[in-house]
Amino acid sequence: MSDEKQENSSILTWLTVIAFLLAMVAIFVYVPTEQTEGAVQRIMYFHIPAAWLAFFAFFVVFLCSILFLWKKEREWDIYALASAEIGVIFCSLVLITGPIWARPIWGAWWVWDARLTSTLILWLIYVSYLMLRYQTDMGSMRARFAAVLGIVGFLDIPFIHFSVLWWRTFHPPPKMISSEGLGAGMDPSMVSTLLLSLAAFTLLYFVLMGQRVKVEMMRDEVERLKKDHLYSN
Amino acid sequence: MDNLEYLFAANIFVWGGIFYYLFRIKRYQQSLQNDLDLIKEAVKKGSQDE
Repeated sequence: MSDEKQENSSILTWLTVIAFLLAMVAIFVYVPTEQTEGAVQRIMYFHIPAAWLAFFAFFVVFLCSILFLWKKEREWDIYALASAEIGVIFCSLVLITGPIWARPIWGAWWVWDARLTSTLILWLIYVSYLMLRYQTDMGSMRARFAAVLGIVGFLDIPFIHFSVLWWRTFHPPPKMISSEGLGAGMDPSMVSTLLLSLAAFTLLYFVLMGQRVKVEMMRDEVERLKKDHLYSN
Repeated sequence: MDNLEYLFAANIFVWGGIFYYLFRIKRYQQSLQNDLDLIKEAVKKGSQDE
């Protein structure tokens, strides 16, 4: 990695650390405790940004998969794979923190409503994407099959977003983006805390992407050197 | 109605997940860097022997 790139990566990492420290202060000190749900409502400041990050990561998979199928450049395949892995990690965190919030509020860990079920389906689609990626006996077809799955899987996201509006669900309707306006009906301190947490998670996505892409580039370099120098002798 | 244990559990999972993933990426980078160094050394040795 060039010095300039390394410096940029280090600045981004520090910005992320600062953003998370500010977000933690806002979540645990600044924002008031919600009156009906109590302290457990603070899980929302992790749950919503994790969901945003997962959806954003899957959107990047969708875009990069289209670009890979169109241009056939390995670079887009690497970005899609890295983003899918990050998306699955954060989608898992959504599926874990949601039930932890639901248990004291709904009295149940899980209900099979449209929002929860469609999110679980999204997670399963991208877990299958990763399983397909780690299959080694499929050669060059692997990246193309995965790209198609990455595109098709993304179609579940609009369904997840609108599911709470189309059907009667246990899951609360969108709080930040609603027809009444951004953050309508929420305390301004809750809106700013949530925005801060969203910013911190978004920065984290770029830090993780940088590191994960570096792994794939290094793996390619190892394979290239082995092929050129070791296997040819 | 505070249910602090649930808030604590959610935090453990979120931070545990993020740090575990970062740790795994770093470990993988280190192992690939070792492989790269070994291959480059072997290539250098090979070209010197010739």
